[in-house]
Amino acid sequence: MKIGIHGLTSCYGCQLSMAIVRRLLDVVDKFEVEYFYMLSSKGDIADVDVAFVEGSVSTDMDEEEVKKIREHAKVLVAVGSCAIHGGVQSILHNEGIDYDQAFATVYGDRPIHYRGRVAEPIDKYVQVDYRLPGCPPEEEEIMYYLSTFAIGSWPEEKDYPVCAECRRAGNPCILIERNEPCLGPVTVAGCDARCIKYDIPCIGCRGAVPHDTAWFDSLAKTFKDRGMDKEYVRKRMAIFSAHHGKLDEMLDAIYGD
Amino acid sequence: MRYLKIKSDKIHPFLERLSTYGALYGPVKISEEFYDYRKIDDVKDVAFEYTRTVTPAKKYVIPTRQDMFEFDMDTNEYRETIGEVEPFVLFGLHACSIVGLRILDGVYLDEYPDKYYKVRRDAGIIIGLSCLPDEYCFCNLRRTDFVDIGFDLFLHELPDGYLVRVGSEQGHKIVDENQDLFEDVNNQDIQNFKKFERKRHEMFQYQGSFDNLRYMLELTEDHPLWDRESDKCLGCGNCTMTCPTCRCYDVQDIPDIDGVHGKRIRYWDSCQFRSHGLVAGGHNFRETKKDRFINRYVCKNAYFYPLGTAYCVGCGNCTHFCPANIDFLKNLMEIRGISEGVYEHSR
Repeated sequence: MKIGIHGLTSCYGCQLSMAIVRRLLDVVDKFEVEYFYMLSSKGDIADVDVAFVEGSVSTDMDEEEVKKIREHAKVLVAVGSCAIHGGVQSILHNEGIDYDQAFATVYGDRPIHYRGRVAEPIDKYVQVDYRLPGCPPEEEEIMYYLSTFAIGSWPEEKDYPVCAECRRAGNPCILIERNEPCLGPVTVAGCDARCIKYDIPCIGCRGAVPHDTAWFDSLAKTFKDRGMDKEYVRKRMAIFSAHHGKLDEMLDAIYGD
Repeated sequence: MRYLKIKSDKIHPFLERLSTYGALYGPVKISEEFYDYRKIDDVKDVAFEYTRTVTPAKKYVIPTRQDMFEFDMDTNEYRETIGEVEPFVLFGLHACSIVGLRILDGVYLDEYPDKYYKVRRDAGIIIGLSCLPDEYCFCNLRRTDFVDIGFDLFLHELPDGYLVRVGSEQGHKIVDENQDLFEDVNNQDIQNFKKFERKRHEMFQYQGSFDNLRYMLELTEDHPLWDRESDKCLGCGNCTMTCPTCRCYDVQDIPDIDGVHGKRIRYWDSCQFRSHGLVAGGHNFRETKKDRFINRYVCKNAYFYPLGTAYCVGCGNCTHFCPANIDFLKNLMEIRGISEGVYEHSR
């Protein structure tokens, strides 16, 4: 079975996570790795059974590349928060800032050799078959996805929030206890509530729970009842969910326009 | 029933003795506000004054996540991985938790016993502990505030120790083997026990019975409350994870990267999650958040025939641990057509 591992605009943390799995030798034994940009710049986008794509579409080149990857892949897996949700670099979209204005603020009038744009998740351009969430994804989940493909099956995606894993882990709920702005209730599980275990409220890095079950409105009401204002709540939720289609509508329903 | 007394200065030695019967678990303070059952390495860590724990005692008989068996796809064989479960002692369970375990027994140990559950249930020694209710408790309305079965020993708080009820053969054995720690109950102890029970009874927020609730729920599917309250719901599953009787699990096959071997696991699921009601073909029995919200109310208030009580034991965990402050008890009273103000207040 052939696989390709690709990186668009991102920190390459997802590719790194895939490159350092403990059973890497078993992985390369099982799959023919046609392309793994982080490990080798050799090779080109080739026909594969499964293509894993990290990163957001943030340049014209990204768009061309992801479309080409799609054409050559039977199955395409979006890996990590950038590919699935646009990532933290979607801040321009989040803040409604124009790309050229942002560029000028940071780089002045220095020319660059490619055309940048506001970051977007890859499903705006290609059909995504599976989503491997995380920032970066957990080793256990990477191995699970690979293993299911290896037997000709497919992964069952988690569709429940971090809270479930947090309660299973027996952590105290820091939202209830200390009014922390924890995004656990709207964030897809898989991290075993790592941050809360270390007493840090969830920032939502794994992205919103899929299938329209991320209830930003209910959580906003919970935060509002605890004295948090709209600007603060929106900013926090939008770090990883800037492109979520219902975020603003749901916040408006609680806080008003 | 056999009654004994253990004096306050003997309680820590007693806990140390208990740990010789198996790994000792008990309530421990884990943060400013919360308690949880944890492995007890130092008996001084045991919290006697706790009300509720983040994870219910069910985690010792239904692990949050457990391996079921391993399989080989080449030979089509499978191998059980239950293994031996070492004896363990659960100290400090309140009456509601003990009834909770009995309800789980009714579900898991019926005519087709669940072997993964049974092996753990058989290994556990249960030591009950009396409690005083907080504002979330309503076990009295559920008739689960006092247990006469389901424990090996039950400790009732006295000013200078505990009155101990012996509830099983194992309980007799523990007491017999540690006679130096116990003494006879005297008249003053009996008066103190009665006084404690009276005080406890009076501390419950409400008096009455919820026995007719199931029928009222079935008759009230169109109540406006369902929209209002399910709108607030985060769908986070805190209510079911912290419920002593929620018992749903999901099963998953995890293949190995070698493409031949694999294992089947199961882990706590929740009816508040979308995929809980999703079946092959894509149909979902509980498509909307409101459907899932109602499901829990109906399930918890259903009548559990073997015990003659509801599946809800009135522990109040689902309300206490709800980040959205959805009040299960108040909602139930509203459905019954009884507003808080006119319900029989005990105080």
